[in-house]
Amino acid sequence: MQLFLQILLVVTSVLLIIAVLLHRGRGGGLSSLFGGGMQASLAGSSRAESNLDKVTIGLAAVWLIAIIGLGLLLKL
Amino acid sequence: MLSAFRSALATPDLRKKILFTLMIVAVYRLGAVIPAPGVSYNSVQACQAQVEGQSFFTLLNLFSGGALLQLSIFATGIMPYITASIIVQLLTVVIPHFEELKKEGQSGQGKLTQYTRYLTIALAILQATGVIALAERGGMFPNCTESIFPDSSVLTMAITVLTMTAGTAVMMWMGELITERGVGNGMSLLIFLNIAAQIPAEGANILNQNTPLVFGFVCLLALVIIASVVFVEQGQRRIPVQYAKRMVGRRMYGGTSTYLPIKVNQAGVIPVIFGSSLLYLPDLLVNLTGDPQNPSGFTQFIQTYLSDQSSWLHMLLYFALIIFFTYFYITITFNVDDRAEEMKKFGGFIPGIRPGRPTAEYLRFVLSRITLPGSIYLGIVAILPNFFLSLTGEGQNQNFPLGGTAVLIMVGVGLDTVKQIESQLMQRNYEGFLR
Repeated sequence: MQLFLQILLVVTSVLLIIAVLLHRGRGGGLSSLFGGGMQASLAGSSRAESNLDKVTIGLAAVWLIAIIGLGLLLKL
Repeated sequence: MLSAFRSALATPDLRKKILFTLMIVAVYRLGAVIPAPGVSYNSVQACQAQVEGQSFFTLLNLFSGGALLQLSIFATGIMPYITASIIVQLLTVVIPHFEELKKEGQSGQGKLTQYTRYLTIALAILQATGVIALAERGGMFPNCTESIFPDSSVLTMAITVLTMTAGTAVMMWMGELITERGVGNGMSLLIFLNIAAQIPAEGANILNQNTPLVFGFVCLLALVIIASVVFVEQGQRRIPVQYAKRMVGRRMYGGTSTYLPIKVNQAGVIPVIFGSSLLYLPDLLVNLTGDPQNPSGFTQFIQTYLSDQSSWLHMLLYFALIIFFTYFYITITFNVDDRAEEMKKFGGFIPGIRPGRPTAEYLRFVLSRITLPGSIYLGIVAILPNFFLSLTGEGQNQNFPLGGTAVLIMVGVGLDTVKQIESQLMQRNYEGFLR
């Protein structure tokens, strides 16, 4: 069980990082980070983007479950 | 004020945005307390109770909202993203390819953001490894004998590093989601939250260690500091710009007189972050490599003069670094030549000054003049907590949420977010938060 959860955690972690990196970056870095401009993102999210959103949310949920499961299992 | 709140919540799209932001925030704060796999929650709690506010990680911990010392899944937090953005920003000066991208506009900017994101992941792996190695060697909680990692095999450690890296990726995504669908800039909002989350605990700390009278005095002082920060933050010089009238087809354009606002503190809070992270470097180095039993002369020098935040050398160096970085950052971000060129292109000029090069010279002159008080103000606000040392007890200086970096960030982000809600509200009716 522990091994399964660990493998699940590794796989979802890697996939999660890839999924997040696949998103088109919004926010424009640091220039608008502190007291910057108000840029309106006019371009709406495309179909691919919204599907990616769903995949990311699903991955994040599994990732969280794996972490909590491991924590409960090991009772450290 | 209250009616503005009501109308903000009564507007359907704005209500949706605010609720979405709150939801992300709730998820984020939940994640900040979940311990990373492989970390013993009980020993971390025990160690934290022992060292209570005297870790050298204070600033990093402040930025991660206490998640770092908890060794939670969001332990590396937002710091890799900040560092990556700073690096990419600096590289635009050095690497010609980056400079081209920056000038390209929207699409180039998007590419730079993408580079920043890749770099964030790389830095997150580095930082997570560093944090875990430090915690394992006992450098994070000095004098704490509890074993933080019961199973210290390489495999378990690798899984913990991977989880923390994924945590940073999730945080980055949540920040972007807030920017896209919520109110305000997601990244800065998350930093704001991290700092605000520390305030109640710090306040309780002060109340416990001192009399209620001192506590009241500190609160009053904090209000005065916040008010003065808002005052300077909003201050700007308005350089008048006159636009010439132009006929395009049958329509008349221009002929308006407007102004170019130059803020007193044009650089925002970036110099403070730069300066403090640079000052933390030698400290970090000594802690990673040094031998705590018999410290060398170099180690002792750094510990007495650089790490100790009440030492005059630390304060002086911090102050000088902030002034330097204010000028440095403004020269990067506010390009006077471009601004003058743009004005010339659209038929604008500053009354009494010829367009083109003289305008650029004039702008440079005004900018460097106005930045001097701006940078000195930043420096003073940043080293302010060092004077509170006797009130807040040992080693809580930068951690103290009512001075320095924390107040600057909170006020900056707060003002920005309120302004953005305000502009959304303006689309419906003219009654807003700000008068």
